[in-house]
Amino acid sequence: MHDAAETVSARLAPAITDLDEAGLIRAAQKGDAEAFERLVRQYDRSVLRIAMNLLRASEEARDVYQEAFLKVYRNLHAFRFDCSFHTWLYRIVTNVCLDHLRKRKVRREESTVVETGDGTVDRVSQVEEEAPHANPERQMWNRELAGKIDGALACLTPRERTVFELRHYEGLRLRAIGDMIGTTEEAAKNCLFRATQKMRSSLESFI
Amino acid sequence: MSCREIISEIPLYCYGEVTSEIEERIESHVEECGGCRAELARHRKFLETLDTREDATDPMLLSSCRARLRARLETKRTSFWQWQIPFRVPVGAMALVAVGFFGARYTPERFGGIEAGFAAPMFSTVKSVEPDTGSGQVRIAVDEIRRHVVSGTAQDPHIEQLLLSAVREESNPSVRFASVRILNSNADSEQVRQALVDALTRDPNANVRLKALEGLKPYGGDPLVRRTLANVLLKDDNPNVRIQAIDLLTTHHDDSIVGVLQDAVRKEDNAYVRTRSVNLLEQMKASVGTY
Repeated sequence: MHDAAETVSARLAPAITDLDEAGLIRAAQKGDAEAFERLVRQYDRSVLRIAMNLLRASEEARDVYQEAFLKVYRNLHAFRFDCSFHTWLYRIVTNVCLDHLRKRKVRREESTVVETGDGTVDRVSQVEEEAPHANPERQMWNRELAGKIDGALACLTPRERTVFELRHYEGLRLRAIGDMIGTTEEAAKNCLFRATQKMRSSLESFI
Repeated sequence: MSCREIISEIPLYCYGEVTSEIEERIESHVEECGGCRAELARHRKFLETLDTREDATDPMLLSSCRARLRARLETKRTSFWQWQIPFRVPVGAMALVAVGFFGARYTPERFGGIEAGFAAPMFSTVKSVEPDTGSGQVRIAVDEIRRHVVSGTAQDPHIEQLLLSAVREESNPSVRFASVRILNSNADSEQVRQALVDALTRDPNANVRLKALEGLKPYGGDPLVRRTLANVLLKDDNPNVRIQAIDLLTTHHDDSIVGVLQDAVRKEDNAYVRTRSVNLLEQMKASVGTY
């Protein structure tokens, strides 16, 4: 009898794989671990990309990933669908990244960009550049440019950098970015303008 | 709009972040003005240059992030069992320890693990990945550990070593708790006592710390244990642990803890611990405050 009841209830409950995002969120809010994992899998690539692009340090990006999703896990019960889950998650991620960038500014951490006898080298991009069969001249130019772009990004304030990354590399609208970092669209616009000007003047020789 | 105004709007125009009215003005101005047209082309070139930056996300990094998050979440989810499991499982059931000891290294299939049909329970760690873009093959070096069960008494040196490792290294708190509980019966060994002291000082889980403190109770007069208890009294963020610490500290009176007790009176927000500290200072005829 009990088994039959369980079977019926299992048949009535939609499978996790059939749930849309709102369904997954609701299931995760009720403590469904699989639903939470699916939510994580849906967004974690972007989360890590933002963290990695903003911080350019694998260990820190790993910490941001962990910290952000643990915050999501702890606070998911309070998510009331007032905004999209995407916006809510990105707000958490950008704030965690901003905290790291601010702390880094204080600690003056070692940059991934290092000066070598051959010029400026970014250790992060170097890993990817060492793939076989690539054009060596192109590799060198890309490496130099990547180092320069990272150098230019490092000169931005944490807020400018976040706005710039989210607008330029993630393609988010300034209104959404303003909402994520707790400022107005106008302020985000000014921030993006300043960031773009600074970036452009740093990269003038590559244009 | 003047050329100067147009140029200042170009960055936002390129991102599609200007009003449709400004957009139209820019477009009609640029059609007429060669200087602004050149500036727009130059800005677009700048944006293209930025796009040459490669995505720094490494698939292995993503995989390791997923595994770490999953392990952490499982730890959180199993916190309920911290109190349940140890009382249900007899001391001799070493399978729990053996399984748990390697549990954190299990590569989960659903969450960033390898979806391969391993015939037996297998714990794997990817050590290196070498992509070969020519052949499209990937060479992956994997360390594999197979689960096995060991059994013996808590006094068996091999079992004791496993338990000590589990207390120090295991990420699952219910396994650390079970290990500490068993090790408590071996606390006469200096090595075990040191492990309990370490667990009391450093374990992130309050139940594990409380269990370690329980094992140290017969050694309330030991200088190392007393120093640890004093440290715990002032620094542990869990009031239950602090209560147990002061109760054990007060079983032996010695003047060396006066300063600690005075600090506790000053900083402590738990009424019981504060009152116990005051009472003890009065019994020792020491002043309650520092002057």
